[in-house]
Amino acid sequence: MLQLFADGLIQGAMVSLGAIGLTLTYSILRFANFTQGELVTGGAYAALMALAGFAGTAQRAGTFAGLSFGWPMLVALLLAMLATGGLALTIEWLLFGRLRRHGSAITLVIASFGASLALRNLIAFGFGPQPQYFSRDLQIAIPIMPGVRLTPDQLFLVGVTAALVAALHFFLTRTTLGRAMRATAENPALAMLIGIDVRAVVRWTWLVGGALAAVAGVFLGLTVQVRPSMGFDLLLPLFAAAILGGIGNPYGAVLGGLLIGLAESLSVPWVGSEYRQAVGFLVMLAALLWRPQGLLGERA
Amino acid sequence: MSAGPTLAVDALVAGYEPDLPIVRNASLHVEAAEIVALLGPNGAGKSTLVKAVAGLVPVSAGTVRFEGRDITGRPAHRLIGEGLAFVPQTENIFTKLTVAENLALAGHRLGRRLRERVDAVFALFPDLARQRGLGAGRLSGGQRQMLACARALIVEPRLLMLDEPSAGLAPVMVAQLFAKLREVRAAGITILLVEQNVKAALALADRGYLLVDGRPRLSGPAVAMASDPALAGLYLGSAA
Repeated sequence: MLQLFADGLIQGAMVSLGAIGLTLTYSILRFANFTQGELVTGGAYAALMALAGFAGTAQRAGTFAGLSFGWPMLVALLLAMLATGGLALTIEWLLFGRLRRHGSAITLVIASFGASLALRNLIAFGFGPQPQYFSRDLQIAIPIMPGVRLTPDQLFLVGVTAALVAALHFFLTRTTLGRAMRATAENPALAMLIGIDVRAVVRWTWLVGGALAAVAGVFLGLTVQVRPSMGFDLLLPLFAAAILGGIGNPYGAVLGGLLIGLAESLSVPWVGSEYRQAVGFLVMLAALLWRPQGLLGERA
Repeated sequence: MSAGPTLAVDALVAGYEPDLPIVRNASLHVEAAEIVALLGPNGAGKSTLVKAVAGLVPVSAGTVRFEGRDITGRPAHRLIGEGLAFVPQTENIFTKLTVAENLALAGHRLGRRLRERVDAVFALFPDLARQRGLGAGRLSGGQRQMLACARALIVEPRLLMLDEPSAGLAPVMVAQLFAKLREVRAAGITILLVEQNVKAALALADRGYLLVDGRPRLSGPAVAMASDPALAGLYLGSAA
């Protein structure tokens, strides 16, 4: 039971990171961005490419105590965050920015669905459909407390996620750019009146959302595998998490992600692992019947 | 600074849709340190006019000059740096930010002077100082208007435009708010005020314009307008 709880927490951490981007772009641009899944995938492949780039040094660098990777992985993670933020900006520049001038919200949603499909196939075409791995070494799970074993990678992942969520909180409440994001989400016209360049805020939103999606993708790759459909398979839990937490609220996305991860994991003994995603949705539906605006959402 | 008017609107045509102008050939001017009231029945285009000046509604013809510079059609986020601040009628504060966060964000370009300016607006609105840590969504209606004014004043604008600041406020709050606006003007800030509350607005203002169907029909000193039978007739007619 405790082990399932721990597994759920790890799954939830990855869902949370991906859902933050989804909820941020929703809060600023008011549309459901289906390419968020491909940003997760893109982040994982960007890290793979970066690692391949310094393959020679990676061998010599060795690994951190217990972890399956060393500093090249951390550098690759940072590069992947930048690259995925860049990918998100490119999609915004090529597609969403242009459509927003004329189209309605539904145009953007359908366009994002199409872009998601195109990106997924582009990745499969470029990297091949077969799964890839960051490391083929087996990791020994170590006992954390009675009845709970986690691999060092998983512990690292939980630690980094907690640090990123704390950094996001600091960013949103203490920095001008973060406050400007919250302000733009609430009232873009008023944000313009006080001299905020709303277009710059939009660009930063894509950058932050893309970077966090990349972290989710790399972690998913570390704990499972890297394949072209990995992000798309995560998309429904991402939406479930963002909506459960209250769409538009980044703290809600984190809470929703953890709850979805836990619900999926804890249901495995009863329903088997094939149906775990459905359980996440049942939890979301039940929560929405009780609180239609989401757990941390505000009534419209 | 030029010797001409602080704000000069000339033959302005503006509206949300280009082929559906709401402001039709409107001209008006506001002199330095003057309080001017823009009056008129519902749908006369008062709000659209100030929003067009503030860069929130597209202008299709005419010019807007601020201190002699042409600012026609300039986007809203670039006007605050020019010294022109606008307080919308509703949704004029960020309810999900605290009072202090609202002010800090409005003054984000001030750098080191932010603290000094926050203290200055808190001196003008002491009620807000006591509630600086409170979520702005929890303020009363009157306090919200005070915060909206405070956030506009923090960047030391030379022209303050307000869209129906008295709407929905109890008479005692309107009196308080208008007393603050007198203090603001005493500090040399020019004010253009859109109002439905004709009596209170003309008691505050130096001059007034009566806008009907998108253009000024009457204008003159506030004292004279207050006793003008045409104005009374128009309002009684629309209220009946």
